[in-house]
Amino acid sequence: MKLEPRAVPLQDAPPKRKVKTTQVVNGIETEVEIEVEDVPAGQWPPRASLRVLNHDIPRVDGPVKVSGAARYTHDVRVPGMVWARLLLSPLPRARVAALDLEAARAVPGVVHVLVVEREETGWLGQPVAVVAAETLEAAGDGLRALAARFEPLPWVVDHAAAVREGAPAVGRGANVGRPETDGDEARARAALSASATRVRATYTVPVQHHASLETHGVVVDYRGGEDAVVYCSTQYAQGFAAEAAKELGLKAGNVRGVVEHMGGGFGSKFGLDAQGLYACRIAKELKRPVHLMLDRRAEFLMSGNRSGTSMTIEAGCDAQGSLTGLVAEAWKHGGLGRGSLSGLPYCYKAGAHFRDVRSVRMHLDASRAMRAPGHPQASFGMESILDELAYAAGLDLVEIRRRNAAHPAWVRQLDRVAREIGWDQHPHRTQPGKPDREECIGIGFGISNWGSGGSSDCEAEVRIEKDGSVVVACAAQDLGTGTRMYMAAIAAEEFGLPVAAVTARLGDSRLPTGVASGGSVTTPSVAPAVKDACTRARGAFAAHLAQVLGRSAEGFRFGPDGVRHDGMTERLAWSKACGTLPAEGLSARGKWQESLQTRGVRCTQAAQVAVDPGTGRVRVLHMVCLQEVGLALNRLAVKSQIQGGMIQALGYALGEGRQLDSALGLQLNASFEEYKIPHALEIPRMTTLIDDDDTRNGVAGVGEPPAIPGASAIANAVHNACGARVRELPITPDKVLLALGKVV
Amino acid sequence: MRPLRLTVNGDTLETAAPAHWTLLEVLRYRLGLTGSKQGCDKGDCGACTVLVDGRPQLACLTLAALAEGHAITTIEGLMPLHVAAGGDGPDPVQGAFDRCGALQCGFCQPGMMLSARALLNRNPCPTRGEIREALSGNLCRCTGYTQIFEAVELAVAESLGVAPAPRAWEEQRMKPAEAQEQARRAAAALAAARERNDGGPGARS
Amino acid sequence: MKSFRFLNPASLDEAIALATAPDAGDARFLAGGQDLLTEMQEHLAEPDRVVNLKSVPGLDRIEAGGGRLRVGALATLVRLEREAAVRARWAALSEAAASVASPQIRSCATLGGNLCQRPRCAYYRIEEARCLKKGGTECFAYGGSNKYSAILGGGPSWIVHPSDLAPALVALDAEIVLRGAGGERRLPLEKFYVLPADGDVTKETVLAPGEVVTEVVVPEPPAGARSTYLKFRERESYDFALAAVAASLVLQDGVVRTARICLGGVAPVPWRAPQAEAALLGRRLDAALAKQAAAAALAGAAPLEQNAFKIPLTKTLVERALLALAR
Repeated sequence: MKLEPRAVPLQDAPPKRKVKTTQVVNGIETEVEIEVEDVPAGQWPPRASLRVLNHDIPRVDGPVKVSGAARYTHDVRVPGMVWARLLLSPLPRARVAALDLEAARAVPGVVHVLVVEREETGWLGQPVAVVAAETLEAAGDGLRALAARFEPLPWVVDHAAAVREGAPAVGRGANVGRPETDGDEARARAALSASATRVRATYTVPVQHHASLETHGVVVDYRGGEDAVVYCSTQYAQGFAAEAAKELGLKAGNVRGVVEHMGGGFGSKFGLDAQGLYACRIAKELKRPVHLMLDRRAEFLMSGNRSGTSMTIEAGCDAQGSLTGLVAEAWKHGGLGRGSLSGLPYCYKAGAHFRDVRSVRMHLDASRAMRAPGHPQASFGMESILDELAYAAGLDLVEIRRRNAAHPAWVRQLDRVAREIGWDQHPHRTQPGKPDREECIGIGFGISNWGSGGSSDCEAEVRIEKDGSVVVACAAQDLGTGTRMYMAAIAAEEFGLPVAAVTARLGDSRLPTGVASGGSVTTPSVAPAVKDACTRARGAFAAHLAQVLGRSAEGFRFGPDGVRHDGMTERLAWSKACGTLPAEGLSARGKWQESLQTRGVRCTQAAQVAVDPGTGRVRVLHMVCLQEVGLALNRLAVKSQIQGGMIQALGYALGEGRQLDSALGLQLNASFEEYKIPHALEIPRMTTLIDDDDTRNGVAGVGEPPAIPGASAIANAVHNACGARVRELPITPDKVLLALGKVV
Repeated sequence: MRPLRLTVNGDTLETAAPAHWTLLEVLRYRLGLTGSKQGCDKGDCGACTVLVDGRPQLACLTLAALAEGHAITTIEGLMPLHVAAGGDGPDPVQGAFDRCGALQCGFCQPGMMLSARALLNRNPCPTRGEIREALSGNLCRCTGYTQIFEAVELAVAESLGVAPAPRAWEEQRMKPAEAQEQARRAAAALAAARERNDGGPGARS
Repeated sequence: MKSFRFLNPASLDEAIALATAPDAGDARFLAGGQDLLTEMQEHLAEPDRVVNLKSVPGLDRIEAGGGRLRVGALATLVRLEREAAVRARWAALSEAAASVASPQIRSCATLGGNLCQRPRCAYYRIEEARCLKKGGTECFAYGGSNKYSAILGGGPSWIVHPSDLAPALVALDAEIVLRGAGGERRLPLEKFYVLPADGDVTKETVLAPGEVVTEVVVPEPPAGARSTYLKFRERESYDFALAAVAASLVLQDGVVRTARICLGGVAPVPWRAPQAEAALLGRRLDAALAKQAAAAALAGAAPLEQNAFKIPLTKTLVERALLALAR
């Protein structure tokens, strides 16, 4: 029996061609042109022939998670480890007046006190010192022993104070950023003047927190020497390891980043961050492993957020309801950061438009990417003004959307979603209802889009062992969305195996190049690479079998009934076929391919709510989501992810939002008691539909789009139910009562 | 430091910890049982939920000293205790959570499943409303909860030996009439089971 | 959490002695711990001594009979919620118990702990904010964030009392039994709570140092009596009341013979509404009368900048609670 070489190398430098795609850097989507190998485009099998993919597949990591054995960063224990905790600035800006280092060092068990800011703090929650100790508790005692004193310096933590003349400066430069403009103002204003109906309103959205159940944190396992392992709750294991290597002063390749399981990130967990940096410094200093997880309060104060926005929008339409013009002026509230706001008009053709967007900086934690950065904010403004315009013009709320949607897919989706939510039977299609009963029913709509494509750098490896086992590997991480499972499922599909026969390895920086998991890029990066690796492995396996069996390589087929050859009647069991492999098995590396992904996935949602005008209570009764996904790898996981997005939007609509006391410089809701994310009792009936009319046979990620329009739909539904137009999220009972004129 | 003798998942474990340590600290930092998650340290998230004498309780708001003399069940014990009670494999709640895709990141799941287990112990055939109420002390940020409710319902249906109502995620594959019929049959079977359980021992402690 | 001495007394007298010993320092009684432990986790309470009341036998009984309901201070909320006799005759109490926090917390939390719990005001709960309640000089809510604050009985502190059981028990005319070094005293539950203007602003009750709540005694409601507790929260689960109302009525042929109404979530104490009760007496309870009583209940409301919404909200709740009892 002649044996094939162990690995099938990639072809030597194939020709390149350029393609346009959207890539996401730290969660922010950007249009780019990239070079890819000009190889024959891979294709997914036709949907009808899929045996594993596009079905409901229980996750491969389900058993380890439901048993409690799954190890998260918080759970990592390594010998000799010290525990570290952070002291944060309790004020937005302050002079560090006193830190009793000696007292902290004298606390039994304390092994290191690291001061990271000696002079002046510039944002609420800024780390000031780190205490490491033999126990977590001693570290906490050490923090208190520091008896830190801060003298307040003038700060700004709200819009009005930040833009006031003579306001304390936030860092260098002006507090109000340079305008980012788009469109022709004169044309847009002229179009507005000529429109049959026009409305103008100001909408405000608060800062939303990611509120991952597992806080940020890291375990840096370094004991001196040349190597280290960093366990991290991160959305980018390879990036994290590279940054840690720099801090530890080690070669990039000598630091291994591991994220076996992580408890949610939603865009907040890309970098090493302050806690990672300090853990590395302490590990380097002590030559001992360091465990540093944020507590819940620190998580709220210093781990990023979705920027708030205030926007004034004026829009007009003609007699038929076609938008003729839109002018928007907006301010982003991203703390020390610039914040993000997607384009206005959002997802609709608006005729002539003009927008002027500026960031307003404050002495607060910088915003980060959060599930579709900038989109929910823009969506809330756009969908709200559209409803207000429709009512002013006496138009049907679905009709005005169908007429102005920027892509025909939304028209199709609106029809379906309107049907599912019961729009035709709804009494308030062109005018809002009246607050004349205990339960006023309203319906609202919203649409969204996310354009992300995968990373051309992503690679995967498939190994087929002589004993028939298959391992798929990629350095990407599974945030809980099911990456592990579809990696295994793709290989199972390709080789005709049960999913359980495949092992997926990820979350380890030493594996083939992965991708930062944000902006819905993981699936369109990893799945094509895995598919390509499988295709290549099949090719190599076929070539090997061709030599063993004396048949043509082209004729081999891999299916659930084993390995077949077009010219043979008998079948070869998979295990038997693998048994012919050399001792070291067979492996193949695959690369991302553009032809295997789908870009631009659109979503339409509707919400039905009940508003109680006596109390201001809003209950969401039903949400419908129709989501394009291209080819769904695992319908069960896709639906779960869509529902999670819808619920984050529900929280944004009705309960979430950072609350500050500007005078005292405190966040009043830095806990899950006061920062109100939805619980089980707030969950509506959810109709979660994968848009199977989207027949594009490539894969897409859907972390972002379903998280966008839900809040807009709910806000519109509240207005539709009873006429209470609340233009500031979250829509809490006090605001509903105020909007109804009940508060005197 | 005080000696502690705790009954965890049927085993008697001896350790020692300061008097002010919570049960969560002892589980995670003394006994190596990290399945109970530390999410907020003040009772807001439910990720540290354990069963104490069958009742759901927050390990972060329970002094370890007060857990002495009580039977503590953590997520690590669900399967062993199920097997010890004559069951086969994981607790039906665990199996159902797995099969219904009732988890993403999984950080909230241990607490969520223990709350579900506590519910089913005292109310073997809860309604959707009772399930939501029983899980209302456990936060989840990933899944949107719906598949979690469906998982509990699946565990209920399986323990009663009736076909479960079609889960929302299955409906697309079933003819509407067929799905309706299955939902109707499941509802009738559950109603009958509830009838039988009403007033019965353990139905509602 | 700061370390402390943990003591397991065998009797109430021993518990009180341990808490009042000259060397006791700051001593706290521990019942279910669902509030005390959060306060200790956040360094709002740093006792030197924690005296465990769970080791004292007999404090957790729930006994209905002899014309009254006796509930020991250590009876858990989950039991009050489910106990058949309580559900049948003291509905407001079981409804209030069922509305508290989460199932996990109700498994542990006790009657006594619920009645003695500290405020939830965000300023109080943030260690850095040295507010009036923590010995500071200012109630920050007054000029700051006061959406959740008091609209009745406020000043110089505007906290709202967070207990759900207290308004229910006041509406049910309960008496509270306290035991201290000097012996036992009993007082109407209403008198247990003090307005910030009337006493030590850092406390919400008349409980003296070393004194323990031992039980609550609720009279058997007369024939025809009905009660209910209606709580409104921003979030449907795991939330404190934005406003709540407990009402207990005796109706004869639709005419109100006796009425007790107590509001929660709107004042620093459970807020009895005698004007509303008076408005009801001797009159047929219909929608118009309920509205009138609701207006009377809120007549003295003095909202701060952000909480005037509590007036229409609470009126709605009063109306609905009354009408629910009339049905």
